[in-house]
Amino acid sequence: MKSSLPLLNPMRFLLSCLLAVIALSLAPGLLEAQAPAGARQMRHFWHVFAAFGIAWILVFGWAVSIARRLARVEEKLNR
Amino acid sequence: MSLRSVRWAGALLGFAGVALTVLFHWQVFFWVPTEASMGIVQRIFYIHLPAAWVAFFAFGIVALCSAVYLWLGEEKLDHAARSAAEGGMIFTTIVLTSGPLWARLAWGTWWTWEPRLTLTLLLWFIYLGYFLVRSSTENRERSRKFAAVVGIVGALNIPLIHMSVLWFRSLHPQPVVARTDGPQLHPDMATTVFTALGAWTLVFLSLFLLRYGVARMEAEAERLEAAEASARPLGEQGVVTP
Repeated sequence: MKSSLPLLNPMRFLLSCLLAVIALSLAPGLLEAQAPAGARQMRHFWHVFAAFGIAWILVFGWAVSIARRLARVEEKLNR
Repeated sequence: MSLRSVRWAGALLGFAGVALTVLFHWQVFFWVPTEASMGIVQRIFYIHLPAAWVAFFAFGIVALCSAVYLWLGEEKLDHAARSAAEGGMIFTTIVLTSGPLWARLAWGTWWTWEPRLTLTLLLWFIYLGYFLVRSSTENRERSRKFAAVVGIVGALNIPLIHMSVLWFRSLHPQPVVARTDGPQLHPDMATTVFTALGAWTLVFLSLFLLRYGVARMEAEAERLEAAEASARPLGEQGVVTP
């Protein structure tokens, strides 16, 4: 069941891509530079940041749980 | 569909989904115009609406697979329903967290017991029940059937959630995309919403297929274990013969 090309393991590659997307979701911080200063504005940034951050943590968590289950079941089948 | 093709289809959809997700993040943070009255916080909409669509899509798959499972009794359909239900729960949780983050600034409150919010929370609890039912009995066949019924009943809530803002007095904004007269959005905002819808849908389909593949492998491993155990001599199985 193991991929014949370990470096091209699709699950591992997908997880790396998801990590990159999470890093990109930190972009609300970059938006700060484009907007006028002020506590209210800052609060808006944090809410956007939290919404995107939580979403990606949840999706990434699901991906990790699938990868862990896959590793476990592959080990079981290879035994 | 063989396990190998399920895994590769999942991986390919995942790559496409991640690529579209990068594009959608660029659109959200660097390209789309800022909404005039709400400002930056309106950008939560680009994650909230697609997550809601994916959650409804996932629970639709649960209901469909559950109904066919009850009819044909094919184990694969139960694996598909369970895999989709996991995704549905994840995306409903995203809806239920991103919504209050927007509402706190737009309405001045994190939560209000208005129809759409209440029905969405109810949907989340119904599918939480779906997983509890699965582990409620020793008899696996029976728990799968009970869960399938919960999966079908839960999906009946989806049209209610969609129509609730039209049928009841609701604080929640009226639909701006799924309208009979077309999306009521600035063209750039509509483009961003549709990119986000495509990105989330592909990411969900990818993870759903990979989860489904794992569920089938787990079932296969269990079958092999059971066959191995029954092939062992009675003494090795822990049975003491007189």
